[in-house]
Amino acid sequence: VSVHLTRQQGYTVRRLVLFCGLAFFGVWTVLPLYWIVVTALKPQLLIYREPQLIPSQVTLDHFGFVLGQTPFLNYVKNSFTVTFVTTLLSMFIGTLAAYALVRLNFSGRKAMARAVFVTYLVPASLLFIPMFQVVYTLGLVNSLAGLMVTYLTFTVPFATWTMLAYFRNVPAELEDAALVDGCSRLQALIRVMVPIALPALVVVALFAFTLSWNEFLYALVLIGSDSQKTLTLGLIGLVRGDTFPWGPMMAASLLGALPPTLVYIVSQRWVVTGLAAGSVKG
Amino acid sequence: VAHGFRAVGTDDQLVRRGVRSAAGVRLTLRHTLGPDWVSAWLFLLPCLVVLIGLVAYPFFSAILLSFQAKVVGAPGTFVGVQNYVDLIVGRDLSAQFLQAVKVSILFTGVAQVCKFILGMSMALLLNEHFRGRTFVRALFFLPWAIPTLIVGLTWKWMYDGSQVGLLNMLVLQLGISHDLVQWLGNYNLALWAVIVAVVWASTPFWAMMFLAGLQGIPHELYEAAEIDGADVFQRFGSITLPSLMPVIIITAMLSTIWTANSINFIYALTQGGPAGATMTFPMLAYEIGIQSQRLGMGAAISLFLLPLFLVMVVVLTRRILAEQR
Repeated sequence: VSVHLTRQQGYTVRRLVLFCGLAFFGVWTVLPLYWIVVTALKPQLLIYREPQLIPSQVTLDHFGFVLGQTPFLNYVKNSFTVTFVTTLLSMFIGTLAAYALVRLNFSGRKAMARAVFVTYLVPASLLFIPMFQVVYTLGLVNSLAGLMVTYLTFTVPFATWTMLAYFRNVPAELEDAALVDGCSRLQALIRVMVPIALPALVVVALFAFTLSWNEFLYALVLIGSDSQKTLTLGLIGLVRGDTFPWGPMMAASLLGALPPTLVYIVSQRWVVTGLAAGSVKG
Repeated sequence: VAHGFRAVGTDDQLVRRGVRSAAGVRLTLRHTLGPDWVSAWLFLLPCLVVLIGLVAYPFFSAILLSFQAKVVGAPGTFVGVQNYVDLIVGRDLSAQFLQAVKVSILFTGVAQVCKFILGMSMALLLNEHFRGRTFVRALFFLPWAIPTLIVGLTWKWMYDGSQVGLLNMLVLQLGISHDLVQWLGNYNLALWAVIVAVVWASTPFWAMMFLAGLQGIPHELYEAAEIDGADVFQRFGSITLPSLMPVIIITAMLSTIWTANSINFIYALTQGGPAGATMTFPMLAYEIGIQSQRLGMGAAISLFLLPLFLVMVVVLTRRILAEQR
């Protein structure tokens, strides 16, 4: 059965569907986020005694507890250290590799590009058991350095792949001029290509940051002592036996979600284009 | 110019400095390895160290490990395919393992279908023109930025089985039921509850991919179809869907690989329980391989899906490399 609508009616229906859809996704998206914030701000008594959608009282006690009574700040520091080093290293390694794969003429180039992409797809769940042995052999179990090394397994292929896609669209003539002037390949890369590829480097930095910040499995397997825990692992550590202290946990979750969220808000434009290139983990 | 260009630009200089006498060898090397082979492999060296030392080596040692009976701290003994046989027919693990196969397939399959439907709807809505679209888009995509472990914990709290859990609060207040629902404690509900959390976290990724694809479809196609009298659904079926097909395939495969192998949600929400209702492959591999320290068996579990994974990798690599050309 086909229904024939006038143009005006068609428009109205379209708008109606649009706003119902937006309302649905609005509630769907906001509800859990709202619940994190509200729980973090509710006094302990209100969390457990009275079911309240909108809190009648707010407090910063949970934040005070998390920051003052738990090693939360140390977890954050560890996460920042690992994330920072991993991000810098993967930008450096990825840029060098991508440049070679795009600009230099050598046999095995195609195979190598393929290997980078395949590596990018290999999930941590395939690697974490032997990775424990590798890190153990390197003597890096239970250390931040061990995490930095393992995080390179997902940030480097990603960085290389993203830089490669970008370098491909940079005209070779730009660099040829520098080469004729007597620059070496490395100088040409640093002086000509890197400044042009700055937007891609930003994307690489943002995603390497987010991926490392969010990582959990390797940290779970490789880190044992409290002093070396990263944020995600430390959050789980707040659970005492079967008791989940939801107030502090949501306060810590809120603080822990802030860095990637801020990064996302600042870089929103690039996030969408970066994803469109099919190059980012979801 | 041509001479200067080649000399400075390629490895000639580097090689000349090194092996001046072996001109013949140099020529053959250059011929087989390509003119820039020295600097190319120098540039690729750090990346190669990561790829070989930290991905390929662990990967192949996982395969070797899966043929061994090995516990942490002791040398392994080679047992052939015994681990795999034990997983399928052994008395000790097979029930757990076959359960994990079932759960993993259901978990990944249902989650992907939901993500597709919701992601497509979200993208179609965000592709319309309305006031505040930039803000709404940023908001809808926000769950993607939240660490998945935090998403898992948040949903665990929302699913709390007492009256203070958000969902139970809503169920009671809206009068849907008079009893508290044990979302994560009920064997028949737990997997669905986990799927909802996973879908919440990764729908934005699908929507972003689809939205980027939608924006690449030329508008004239729709105008022409409208003139031909095609209604909304016909236009979606004859223009939108076919144009988006490459994006859909890539998104679905990437997301399938990541979802099937993700441990974060399950670990935060249920740790595989109750009674194995949400025990997926990676979670079981973690439990057996790390917690029970049976490394060989754990490796065998995580490798079981490898053939399926390899098929997807081959298809994806072909498609993406073809697109990049």
